[in-house]
Amino acid sequence: MSPSALTSDGVGIAHLPNQRHKIVSKRGANFTVMVCGESGVGKSTFVNTLFTTAIKEPKKLKARHSKQIEKTVEIEITKAELEEKNFKVKLTVIDTPGFGDYVNNRESWLPIIEFIDDQHEAYMAQEQQPTRAGIIDLRVHACLYFIRPTGHTLKPLDIEIMKHLGSRVNLIPVIAKADTLTPKDLAKFKRNILDVISAQDIRVYSCPIESDDETVTTMNKSIMQSMPFSIIGSTDDVVTADGRTVKGRQYSWGVAEVENEEHCDFKKLRNLLVRSHMHDLISTSEEIHYENYRQTQMETRKFGEAKSKKYENPKFKEQEEQLRQAFTEQVKKEENRFRQWEAQLVAERDRLNKDLEAQHAQIKTMESELENVYQMRGTIRR
Amino acid sequence: MTLYVHCYEEHTHRHPFYSLLFPPLALHSVPPPLCINLSFKPNLFTSSSSLFFPLYKKLHNMSHRLGGRRKNVKKGFQFTLMVVGSSGTGRTTFVNTLCDSGVLAKKVCDSPEDAHIEAGINIKPVSVELDEDGVRISLTIVDTPGFGDNIDNERCFHEIVAYLERQYDDILAEESRIKRNPRFRDNRIHALLYFISPTGHALREIDIELMRRLSPRVNVIPVVGRADSLTPQELKDFKRRIMEDIEHYNIPIYNFPYDVEEDDEDTIEENSELRALLPFSIIGSDEEIVVNGRTVRGRQYPWGAVEVDNPQHSDFGRLRSALLSSHLQDLKEITHDFLYENYRTEKLSRTVSGGDQDDAAMNVDDMASQGVRLKEEQLRKEEEKLREIELKVQREIQEKRAELSSKEEALRSLEARLAQAQIADA
Repeated sequence: MSPSALTSDGVGIAHLPNQRHKIVSKRGANFTVMVCGESGVGKSTFVNTLFTTAIKEPKKLKARHSKQIEKTVEIEITKAELEEKNFKVKLTVIDTPGFGDYVNNRESWLPIIEFIDDQHEAYMAQEQQPTRAGIIDLRVHACLYFIRPTGHTLKPLDIEIMKHLGSRVNLIPVIAKADTLTPKDLAKFKRNILDVISAQDIRVYSCPIESDDETVTTMNKSIMQSMPFSIIGSTDDVVTADGRTVKGRQYSWGVAEVENEEHCDFKKLRNLLVRSHMHDLISTSEEIHYENYRQTQMETRKFGEAKSKKYENPKFKEQEEQLRQAFTEQVKKEENRFRQWEAQLVAERDRLNKDLEAQHAQIKTMESELENVYQMRGTIRR
Repeated sequence: MTLYVHCYEEHTHRHPFYSLLFPPLALHSVPPPLCINLSFKPNLFTSSSSLFFPLYKKLHNMSHRLGGRRKNVKKGFQFTLMVVGSSGTGRTTFVNTLCDSGVLAKKVCDSPEDAHIEAGINIKPVSVELDEDGVRISLTIVDTPGFGDNIDNERCFHEIVAYLERQYDDILAEESRIKRNPRFRDNRIHALLYFISPTGHALREIDIELMRRLSPRVNVIPVVGRADSLTPQELKDFKRRIMEDIEHYNIPIYNFPYDVEEDDEDTIEENSELRALLPFSIIGSDEEIVVNGRTVRGRQYPWGAVEVDNPQHSDFGRLRSALLSSHLQDLKEITHDFLYENYRTEKLSRTVSGGDQDDAAMNVDDMASQGVRLKEEQLRKEEEKLREIELKVQREIQEKRAELSSKEEALRSLEARLAQAQIADA
């Protein structure tokens, strides 16, 4: 029996993607990106250039003398909400000021790694709650590591942290301030970096290349070949020699354009991050990295046990101490108040007791007087 | 102190003022520690323009005007320069550009498997002969690859400071020798170029620490390497912030000192110009490119070409002329007259007072041998004196004996005469 022919417009399963599209566009997306690298390497400028809005404030340099040089690596979280054609994205940018800036940078990557793990941990804990409605998800979807353009090769510090990052997040190495390298130097530098990455077994993000569309496949291939991406960041509009107004950097010998493919790989990186592979980044970090973390944690830890902290941020300790002190002070104050109140009550009671006794004594005397009077009357009557 | 006036051929200022400044003293048995030097030792540890003691400046300029260089034009100068900075700041290229030839080899990136191994700092001097406006300069460049590349960079500072102090120790030992080597080679560093990474923000901790630790021993000149990564406005702000930081942390750098009262107009103008350019922005290149038909040294980018010798693009030309022509003598003098003297005073007062034994350990041998030499001299002098006395005494004895014998003779002759007379009478 031949199967009954489908009607010309099918069952309607083909409309599922449209429905999904509607749901997703209403919900909006949530994207967390971390920018990591030494200070002065162009991280804030890049983020602002990528999203063409001033998301991150430029570093406040006037105040640098007033505070002490603290030798810690901080984690700075900046949140923004972007909207384009009615589609909302909740963007979170995580910065790591203080990394690699000091004379002794040993273990300076610990706060960063702890942060990433903490996010996985927090998500895991929230998932295990009875009500899972309002989950706050700060898991990092992509980590851009900014390499200083020395022109030689990766430094030991870079290698160390990239190893740690690559196993936990989608790591994308980026050559910062690429307008200081000539094309020849740049090619040599990229080759050296790729050699080191493969020799040292560092896991970097590799997007899926194959796709149904031919153009997309070639584009993906070209994107992957340009890794690590060389970028120039700028939010200023400048006029080039031939009169065009572009985003770029104006030197006395020319204008380095941000969106020019020959000058830097900014466009390719933007495609990777936003246009074509954002969803892939989000899904790989949620599926692969989170699952990895969950698996390793569940194999070694009991259910419900708290995670062991490897790194103690001294600032947090201080805050903890302060809070504890404030708490004990408050408790003491309350206790004092209660004691005073108790003392008051006791005093009241004593006073009242005394009054009562006095009254009793009076009554007794009056009674005895009365008795006397009766007796006297009795004797007089007889 | 007659000691150093005799020492080094290139120290040419053998003119009358030096004998005024340092009157010849009798050689003491113990080197005079603090007394003489203090009055001529200005407080180097202020970074303001009143860095130098006015009296010294006066003499220094007089010596300059007397053309202290004339004698050495034929013989040539000797100058030692050290370049320090993290890798990738353009040190090697700068040195090659300065000397116009491939003096230093570019960093060879060895096998990627070993890239994670931290190599320590490596100090290696290289000598080059230059010809600058007809003057021969024998330039020694000390490169420090490996600085700032490790995860923990504390040791790098120690190594550099130890190297500087070793050179000073060599000179100190040579000075105190009884018979000095006339062909002794002076390896002290006359100027140190510190390459600041062009972040565009301000000084980092490693920059501040290094400059602070090295400036008591050497003239530190801060330099912004790879200045082609900053736009003109960014460069101006960056330079300003660096100088603010240097003021704030009180780091004494070599800032082309001049004395408003004493110097002539040209010197003041020149020095204040150079001071305003601090820190110098450097672009280096050992390749030649074609720009508008001219062949120049520069870097070719897709958006334009940077020229090394163009004063609008980089301060390389000004720095080169300041280092090799106009301020070469100044740098050398400051190294010898202040930095070296400071070091010497510190070191000798340490061992004389018997204080810090930690660093004195390796210098004990030197000090002992110096002490021994001085004692030897003492002994010799005393021996001589004794010998003279002996001779004198012997002579006296002989004279006395001669007298005695003559007197005896006289006595005998008298006796004989008496006997004769007695016999005559009887």
